[in-house]
Amino acid sequence: MSTSDTISIASGAVLASLVLPVAACAAGGGAHADMGVSLPLYSVLPFAGMLLSIALFPLLAPKFWHHHFGKVSAFWAVVLVVPLVLQYQGGAVYEILHIVLADYVPFIILLGSLYTVSGGILLKGTLRGTPALNTGILAIGTILASWMGTTGAAMLLIRPLLRANAHRKNRTFMVVFFIFLVANVGGSLTPLGDPPLFLGFLRGVPFFWTFHLLPHMLVAAGILLALYYLLDRHYYRREGITAAPDDGAQEPIRIEGSYNFIFLAGIVGAVLMSGMAKWGDISILGIHRGVQDVVRDGLLVLMAGLSMAVTPRPLREANAFTWFPIQEVAILFIGIFLTMIPCLKILQAGSQGELAFLIAAVREPLHYFWITGILSAFLDNAPTYLTFLSTAMGGFYPGVAESEAVMLLIKENPLYLLAISVGSVFFGALTYIGNAPNFMVRSIAEEAGTPMPTFFGYLFKYSAPILGSVFVVISLLFFI
Amino acid sequence: MKIEKILFPTKFREFAFEALESLLVLKDAGLRDVVLHYVIPREEVGFVPYGGYLKDEEERLREETRIRFQEWQQALSAHGIGSKIVIEVGDPVPNILALAEKEKIDLIVVGKKKKTGPELSFVGSHTLQLITRSTVPILVSKHMVEYESSGEMVTRLNDTIFQRPLLATDWSEPSSRALELLSSLKNIVDAVSVCHVIGVKIAKNLDKSGLHLLEKESRERLARYCERLTAAGIPAEPHLGAGRSVLEIIRLARETHATMIMMGTTGKDRLHEFFLGSNSHRVAEASELPTLLVP
Repeated sequence: MSTSDTISIASGAVLASLVLPVAACAAGGGAHADMGVSLPLYSVLPFAGMLLSIALFPLLAPKFWHHHFGKVSAFWAVVLVVPLVLQYQGGAVYEILHIVLADYVPFIILLGSLYTVSGGILLKGTLRGTPALNTGILAIGTILASWMGTTGAAMLLIRPLLRANAHRKNRTFMVVFFIFLVANVGGSLTPLGDPPLFLGFLRGVPFFWTFHLLPHMLVAAGILLALYYLLDRHYYRREGITAAPDDGAQEPIRIEGSYNFIFLAGIVGAVLMSGMAKWGDISILGIHRGVQDVVRDGLLVLMAGLSMAVTPRPLREANAFTWFPIQEVAILFIGIFLTMIPCLKILQAGSQGELAFLIAAVREPLHYFWITGILSAFLDNAPTYLTFLSTAMGGFYPGVAESEAVMLLIKENPLYLLAISVGSVFFGALTYIGNAPNFMVRSIAEEAGTPMPTFFGYLFKYSAPILGSVFVVISLLFFI
Repeated sequence: MKIEKILFPTKFREFAFEALESLLVLKDAGLRDVVLHYVIPREEVGFVPYGGYLKDEEERLREETRIRFQEWQQALSAHGIGSKIVIEVGDPVPNILALAEKEKIDLIVVGKKKKTGPELSFVGSHTLQLITRSTVPILVSKHMVEYESSGEMVTRLNDTIFQRPLLATDWSEPSSRALELLSSLKNIVDAVSVCHVIGVKIAKNLDKSGLHLLEKESRERLARYCERLTAAGIPAEPHLGAGRSVLEIIRLARETHATMIMMGTTGKDRLHEFFLGSNSHRVAEASELPTLLVP
């Protein structure tokens, strides 16, 4: 499909979604409390358009997408927001402000602070890529990912891994396993690890509840690390490497900017604090937010600011630190968060909403695991998580306030939340578009001269057979 | 200290080639090689949101750049100057600094940005970073500039950069190195003006006799600078200014019909630069003349 074809298809979808939400909102009405019941199904079109844009443009028109993704994101946001506000007025403004202030802003602040702080930590020294060393790097990255975010851990370790293996002929599979483990599976233990879990935390899932994902993570990481080691050993032998090359320039291994671990601890502490403290509410633009949440966001910004102030510029340059990736995420996610409002509201309405058929169809934890997972792989996993969290809550507790419904879900049906959490985090590794760090790792690897498979090459040659098998094991062990 | 090897990073802005041509006279002062450098900004080809890396785009940019540089190489070769092309993906400032170190460069030549905005600066953020951090002399070339003079916009062509430099000294070590570098340009320099400005900060703390003493000492030092240049075969005349240093240097440069301003620079760190600034950086930002800063 050519670029012009892609744009034509996108234009068609755009035209439909320009007209439909207006009609949708006209058909609705009433205050925001009724919004989920009255919104028609086609009001989710801008959300679908936004996610499909993320899925298709990088594949079919990457250059266009690279230069215009901000306009695309803004376009879908406007297509949703204008008719929604025209129809629901104050109710819509409330929902928009709520999702921006309570979800989007904390989400971007967390990602930005983790990215900034981890960008100030530089692993230096001479590493020689052997199967044992590479497996060790992947294992360390898997552990770190839950505490410095998948993005932070990936940015810290991908360049050392590539440098260590510059002499190796087969490097593609290393980066692929790095994406599996460090950029995805490893981030499953805390809300800091992967964006979907932080969104769950913001909705009321306790910080330490995600430790319940430990058995799933150990199984997945154990299988993947063992498989990686065997593969690497196979290639290592086939490449005929008997000893690591010695160019005489041995540099001892060391970490520069290690004081950034203090700021990292500060981030962990701030997020923990906001989950435990209850200091009352304040109103920001009419939206009630916990004082502890506002303090947390302030502390995260402070940690990032301190990291920027004390980390020498050359150190960040050696990490090839740039604001560009985080800017991209911020621009794209404002579109995602705004356009997903109707979808979340309809799902929260449960059997009274237009997506009652979906709630009826997705019944068992196994369903949640696979459907959340597969959609996470091809859409972004953060909004997918929220969508299916809302589906589960709508199914079990229709009309119940969100924070209360989350607690009930954890208390009475925790397996469902586990299935959604594991599915959204693990399946993020299935494609390049499943999770934001995937494309960053791919970009860095390609820039460093490591050939990476195409979208479908990655899917069919690596992720579907390898991860698919792992997910079957996880299903058998935990969700049946 | 001699200019034998130049690093010429470019973004192929207007007059980039003309700026390079204006350096060809340095052949008579010992120039042997020019490294032509282009940095493809990482953001241009990398981090496509959810897409990865635009390898084809990188290849295209590399080819385009190579073709452009080959034209330039012919011009350099015609003047008996060797050249080398380096095209990289990365971040311009660290890449330029790293290449300067690797290639043992004697002079980095950077262009100007269009003088726009409320700050009316000829120096962009990249150039400012370079002149702050470089350990190698940097020439901000400013081939053609528009600036305000007596309430009117004037266009100036700076194509004879080395003909009549103004050396502004604060008696520092970098100023001494600037003098040394200037001495190596005797074959291409017609005459030099050497100036020193008694700054407001120093003058305001002195009484009349103290000021006279400082003036006398400054004139003697200026004379010694001029003697060194004359001994190197370059005619030189001293000029003493007083007042706000940056404005005085620019005024003296205009009055002496200078074609370039040379200064030592101490490479202030970020905080110092932000709060106190640096005279050499301010001159580079504000003057319509090419500015050669020696660390």
